[in-house]
Amino acid sequence: MRIGSAKESYAGDSALFDSHTQRVWIGLLAVTLCLFPFLANEYWLYLACLVVINIASTCGLNILTGYTGLVSLGQAAFMGLGAYTVAILQVRTGLPFLLNLLAGGCVAMLAGVLVGLPSLRVKGLYLAIATIAAGVIAHFIFSHFTSLTGGSGGLTVPPARFFGVELDNSFKLYWLIVPVTAVMLLGAANLFRTRIGRAFIAIRDRDISAEVLGISLLRYKLLSFAISSFYAGVAGGLFAYFFRAVSPESFPLLMSIFFLAAVIVGGMGTILGSVLGAVFMTLTPEVLKMVVGWLPAAVFGGNATLILSPIRTIVFGLMIVLFLIFEPHGLAEVWRRIRRLFHLWPFRT
Amino acid sequence: MKTFRRTTCLAALAAALTLAVAPATFAQKAAPKADSKEDIVLGGSIPLTGVFAFAGIAIDQGIKDYLSILNESGGIKGRKVRYVPEDTGYKVDQSMAAFKKITSQNKVNLYYADSTAFVKTVNPELERAQNILMTGASFAKEISDAQKYPLQFMVGPNYSEMVGILLQYIAKTKPSAKIALIYSDTEFGRDPVEAARAEAKKLGLNLVTEIVTPPSSVDVSAEVIKLRRADPDYTIFHGYVSAPIPEFVNQAKALNLKTAFMGTFWSMDNTTVMRMGANIDGFLGVMPYRYYYDTEGKAPMLDRIRKMRPEYQTTGYMQGFLSAMLLTEAAKRTLEAGNELTGKNMKTALSSIRNFDTGGIIGVPLSIKGNSIPIGRIYKADFKQQKMVPASDWISLQQ
Repeated sequence: MRIGSAKESYAGDSALFDSHTQRVWIGLLAVTLCLFPFLANEYWLYLACLVVINIASTCGLNILTGYTGLVSLGQAAFMGLGAYTVAILQVRTGLPFLLNLLAGGCVAMLAGVLVGLPSLRVKGLYLAIATIAAGVIAHFIFSHFTSLTGGSGGLTVPPARFFGVELDNSFKLYWLIVPVTAVMLLGAANLFRTRIGRAFIAIRDRDISAEVLGISLLRYKLLSFAISSFYAGVAGGLFAYFFRAVSPESFPLLMSIFFLAAVIVGGMGTILGSVLGAVFMTLTPEVLKMVVGWLPAAVFGGNATLILSPIRTIVFGLMIVLFLIFEPHGLAEVWRRIRRLFHLWPFRT
Repeated sequence: MKTFRRTTCLAALAAALTLAVAPATFAQKAAPKADSKEDIVLGGSIPLTGVFAFAGIAIDQGIKDYLSILNESGGIKGRKVRYVPEDTGYKVDQSMAAFKKITSQNKVNLYYADSTAFVKTVNPELERAQNILMTGASFAKEISDAQKYPLQFMVGPNYSEMVGILLQYIAKTKPSAKIALIYSDTEFGRDPVEAARAEAKKLGLNLVTEIVTPPSSVDVSAEVIKLRRADPDYTIFHGYVSAPIPEFVNQAKALNLKTAFMGTFWSMDNTTVMRMGANIDGFLGVMPYRYYYDTEGKAPMLDRIRKMRPEYQTTGYMQGFLSAMLLTEAAKRTLEAGNELTGKNMKTALSSIRNFDTGGIIGVPLSIKGNSIPIGRIYKADFKQQKMVPASDWISLQQ
C-alpha cells in the first residue's frame, strides 16, 4: 500500500483507483493512448492493435483460469466463434459493428456455457482436455458448414463502418479496438469488486469450501465460462475486423496455448497480468527481431536474418522458461515490486 | 537486498528497452522515403522458422541468388534491386507485422508472401496502397482470380491446375482409369477437390474414392483398407509435404496394391521423396520447374545456379528464384515502357509476358495470361538413381 494513503471509508477501500497519484497516471496513460496513433507509424499501430486484441482475449481467459481456477484450452475456439459470427453478420446483414461484436460475444458465450458443463465434474488437466474438444468441434463447423462459413477457404470480411467511414486501416481500427478493450478491462476489474468476482475467487481457492459458504458451483462456474467466452468472442470479432479474413485455420490450438502462456507469464488472477502477459507474448518476438536487426549484417555475411531467426525463437522460449522459474507470480508481480520501490523510496523493501 | 537489486535491474532494463524502442516507433513515421531513389525494393514475409521453414529458407536463398545475378549485371535500368526479408514463423499475424514493418521503413515495389492466409489478409492493403506487385508460396485456387486479387500472381499452376495436369496425364496414359484422391483436412488439402471431381468427369476418368486425413497423420491403416477396396489405378495425394504419404505407400506395397501414387508441388522435392524410402520408387507427380540436376536442353540459368551452388537446391529454391525473376521482369517492362512502378502498371507489364525464356527453370517458353501459370511436367521417382526423372513432356492447360 502506498504510504500516506489511508482509507477512511469502505468506498475508499474498495475503489478501483485508490490514490490521487494512481488517477494521474491513469489519466496520463489515457492521453498517451490518444496521442499514440498520431505519432506512431503503420507498423507500430498494427502491433498496438494486435496487442490490444490479445489483451482482451487474455483478460477473458484470466477471469476463467486465473480468478476461477478453471483451466481452458478452448479460448481460440471461442475467438473463432466470435470472429465467424461478426464476419457472417457483416457480410450478410451489414449491421453496425457494435451490434455484430455483441452478437459475436453472445454466440461465444453460449458455446462457453456448453463447453463449461464438464467443469462441474472435472478439474485441472482433465478440464483442459475437455475444452480442447471445443476447438475440434469449432474447426469442424468452420470447415464443413460451407454455406455459412465459406468452408475451408473462409470468409473475407468487409470493413466496419462508423458514420459512413470505413475502418479499413490500423489507424482507424485503433479507435475501435482500444476503447472496446478498455471498457472490457474496466468491466473485468470491477467484476472482482462484486459478489460474483469474489465467488469466482472462492471457487478457485477451494470449491468445496465455497459451496459450503453458499456459492452455487453450477451457477458461478458456468458464469465464469460465459464471461470468459464473451470476452474471447468480442476479441474474435475485433480480430475479424482487423485481419478482414477468417478461416478455420485462423484459430488453432496453438493460439489457445498462446493465451494460456500470456496469463501465466503475466500473472494469474490479476487484470494487470493479462495486460502485461499479452504485451510480453506479442511484442517480445518483434523486439527480438529489432535487436537482431541492430547486429552488424557484415558479421553474418549478409545472412543475419537467416542465421539469427532460429536463435531468436530459442531466446523467446528461454525467456518464458526463465520467467516461470524466477518469477512464478508473473510480470504483474515484477510491476508491483517496481512500484513498491518508488513508493517506499528511499527505503528498501 | 537481493529483491531490491533484481527490481532495480528490471526497472533499468525496462527503461533501456523503452528508450531504445520508443525513438524507433516514432522516427519511422517519416522513414519510407529514406531509401535511395535508385533502389527497387523487394520485400518478403519469409518463414525462416516454424513448420514451413524447410521451404522458406530455400525460397530466401533462391530470391537472393537471382537478385545477386540481376544486380551484378547492372540491375533494372541501372537501378539495383534490394531484398528486405523478415522472418514470419509461418504465422499470419507475424507475416502481416513483417509487411507493415518493411513497407513503413522502405518504399516497397515488389513483395513475396509466405502463405494463403497472409495473401488473403494483405489483399485489401495492396489494393489500397496500389504500389506493390506480389507473389508468394501460395498456389490456392482463389488467388488465381484476377478480379479479386488484381495485384497478385502465382509462379506456377494453382492446386486445381496441378491436379488437372495429373489428370490429363492419366487420361492420356490410361483412358477411363480409376482414380483415388487423398487429401489433408486443411484449406491447403481441400483446395483442388471440387475442381478435381469436375475435371475427372470431363476427362472420362472414374473417381472411385476420396479419403480425408489429418495433416501429417501417422496411422492410416483404416484408410489403406478403404483404398484397397476401391482398387484405383492412380492415387493422387494433395495437401501434404511428406507424412502420411510414406505410410500409405509402404502399407499399399505390403498389401500388393497396384495403384500408382502421385503428388503435387510441395511433396515433390527430390530430397523429400527420396527420404520416403525404397518403396517410393515410381512415385509420380507434377512439377512446374526443372529439378536442379536436369541437364536436358539449353538451360543457362540452371547452369548458373549449379555454378553458384554446387550442392543440390530444392524445388522451393527454384520457386523463390523464379518468383524474383518474374517480379523483376514486371518491374523492368514497366520502366522500359516509361511507366511508374505502380502495382497496376507492373501487373499489366507482367501480363504482357509472352514466350518468355526463364533460362531453363521452366522447360518451355512462358506466357502469362492470368494470375497463374498452368504449366507443369510429370516426374517419376527413380530410387536407384536417387532422382526424379521426367515421365512426360511439358503439359500446358493454357488455352
